[in-house]
Amino acid sequence: MLVIENCRLTWPDFSADYTMSVRTGSLCAVIGPSGGGKTTLLHMIAGFEKPESGTLTFNGQNLLPLEPAKRPVAIVFQDHNLFPHLTAMQNVALGIRPSLRMSGEDKALIEETLDAVDLRGLSDRRPGEMSGGQRQRVALARALVSGRPLILLDEPFSSLDPGLRRDMVQLVDELRRRRPVTILMTIHTPEDVADLADQMVFVADGRVVASDVPAAILGGSLARQIAAAVSDT
Amino acid sequence: MARKLLHPGSLVALVIVGLVASGFIALAAAGGGRPTLFSIGPYLWRVLAFSFIQAALSSILSLALGTALALALARRHFPGRDMVLAALSTTMVIPTIVAVFAVFAVYGRSGWMANTLSFLGWNGSFSIFGYPGILIAHVFLNAPFAARILLDSISLVPAEHWRLASALGFSPAQIFRHLDWPVLRAELPGLAGLIFLLCFKSFAIVLALGGGPSRSTLEVAIYEALKIDLDFSRAAWLSLIQLVICLTLTAVLNWALTRPPTAHTIRGLIQRPDAGNRRLKLFDCLVLAFGALFIAPLALSLLSGLGNFADIWDTDLLRAFITSIVIATLAATIACTLALALASAARRWRIVLRSPRIAAFYDFLPSTMLAIPPFALTAGLFIMIRRIVDPASAGLILLPLINGLAAIPFAYRSLAPRLLTTEERYGRVAASLGITGLNKISIMDWPVLKRPFGAAFALSMALSFGDFGIIALFGGPELVTLPYLLFQNLGAYRLDEASAIGLFIVLIAFLLAHVSGRLSHAGD
Repeated sequence: MLVIENCRLTWPDFSADYTMSVRTGSLCAVIGPSGGGKTTLLHMIAGFEKPESGTLTFNGQNLLPLEPAKRPVAIVFQDHNLFPHLTAMQNVALGIRPSLRMSGEDKALIEETLDAVDLRGLSDRRPGEMSGGQRQRVALARALVSGRPLILLDEPFSSLDPGLRRDMVQLVDELRRRRPVTILMTIHTPEDVADLADQMVFVADGRVVASDVPAAILGGSLARQIAAAVSDT
Repeated sequence: MARKLLHPGSLVALVIVGLVASGFIALAAAGGGRPTLFSIGPYLWRVLAFSFIQAALSSILSLALGTALALALARRHFPGRDMVLAALSTTMVIPTIVAVFAVFAVYGRSGWMANTLSFLGWNGSFSIFGYPGILIAHVFLNAPFAARILLDSISLVPAEHWRLASALGFSPAQIFRHLDWPVLRAELPGLAGLIFLLCFKSFAIVLALGGGPSRSTLEVAIYEALKIDLDFSRAAWLSLIQLVICLTLTAVLNWALTRPPTAHTIRGLIQRPDAGNRRLKLFDCLVLAFGALFIAPLALSLLSGLGNFADIWDTDLLRAFITSIVIATLAATIACTLALALASAARRWRIVLRSPRIAAFYDFLPSTMLAIPPFALTAGLFIMIRRIVDPASAGLILLPLINGLAAIPFAYRSLAPRLLTTEERYGRVAASLGITGLNKISIMDWPVLKRPFGAAFALSMALSFGDFGIIALFGGPELVTLPYLLFQNLGAYRLDEASAIGLFIVLIAFLLAHVSGRLSHAGD
């Protein structure tokens, strides 16, 4: 279980205070208006932002004292996930071997993971030779291959067209059903995940305003506020 | 049927090509075709060898120090860092003749270093002339410039990559390999080419610190052929060789610098994951200390002029100042007007007429100005007009013209991208509304262009104001600029007066560069 309790962060022009929990093995969609604190929430879990107070645990382990590389967390951003001078295989390999000295076993594991994200035969391509969707699949493969049980997806498919975006969300759902991972995904279009996510969290003004199953969030009292937030973005 | 008028940019391109060609032809014709290339062979090889070796050594040392400084500054944040960065940016406009003064003041026979060593009991002597002085001056001017360019490039690494490096647990070596090196590798060839070109064409530094005819670059050799030996034919041959070498380098540079735009992303204050590494901390401290020990005394030596300001205020200084300002203003007007016309033609060919190859010619033409030997062009043009104007008046005509042509590449770089953007954004709207000609310029272009134009104008003025090149040919009792006055004082070993004049030149050049920087970073 991911448990966040009263984690407070303050900047001169923005403050955030998060309290929420996510069940292990679930897919949790984080929605909300732009600038509302969705990315900050993910960056805090990943270790890029340090809260001044509060607690943050995953399966009982306190994450706050840990550096980003030591946390059981993998992250995929909206852009710039891949290093342009490396091939798809090398970019994925960074998840397990930052030195890029790969054994035969490592290569087999990477090939297998690239297969899992439908990138068979593209392991020698560089990011510049791939489409936007393929690049995000490579980033997803790196998150999976790292074996870290908590995966954060920070608006990973926002730049893709609606059809491809839906395909990618389904791929994420399939992958998490086959592997023991917990996924938190910020997303601008709640309808893409409404029938797949186990949990939906609405974040605005640096606070978790609501957390429930998607149907309850999208059909409840917040429906108008959510619609306004989505149309803003 | 109405005949279509030639585009102003095409006319400008024709005039530039015509001026350069006729200047060289006039110079070659004045020499009567003698001596031949073979007769100047041994001398030529010596000059070429020296030009190449000093430029290569200067480039290697400048890039080594510049790269180390850029990486150290990228990793370290300390009080006063912003001031250091601002200082690094300004070396580009330090006039070369002022750098010569700084080298004399610190490393000269009675400079700070000699005095310090003497105080410590060392009574040996060393000469600053030849390679030591030339390399010190070139590295002083170019290493900070390289550091600033490389640091700017490193700062464009997407924030997400730093976060990934942090999340994936990259070691300092892996950070260098995957984040720093790809950026440096993309930037270094172009930067190396540019620094090599500037050092290869070096004039004032080699003239003052070379220590004799055996230490001449091609540029100095052309100057000596024209001014001392009056051997126009030799000057023409040397110019042709320099032109071929520099044009080749410029073409390679143009190719190396033309790459896809770098990805930008929102950069907050991202802490580099390798900043905490102890060995790197020590290494960075050593690099920063060495950089400070090398650059700071030279920069601070300019401040020694503060105490001598009162001694230089006379009518000579005022006359030189007014002459310099007038020449700089005219040069900036020429540079910006011609650059604007060329940029407008490039835009028309690229977007309206859809011919990127011809547009590329207009993009390349300003860069070729870096390759043209100014002395040879000036001498050729002077030969053409000497029958109708006296030498002092010819200087007043040719100085702004040649300085203006030399500043075109910098003005073009500032204006052309903005002009292209306005056409891409508003060109179709303007065409659909029938907005053309001057109306198009005033309604569509000028609001976006006025700040970059101001920035280009101020930078062109700064470059011309401190230039000690062509004035070496025309300078004399009737025509004195501030850099020429400084050269005269240095030649007479009046270092106190020279320090004050040097500081004065630097202050004006910095002021102009500051205005240029403010305008180029301001919003539209």
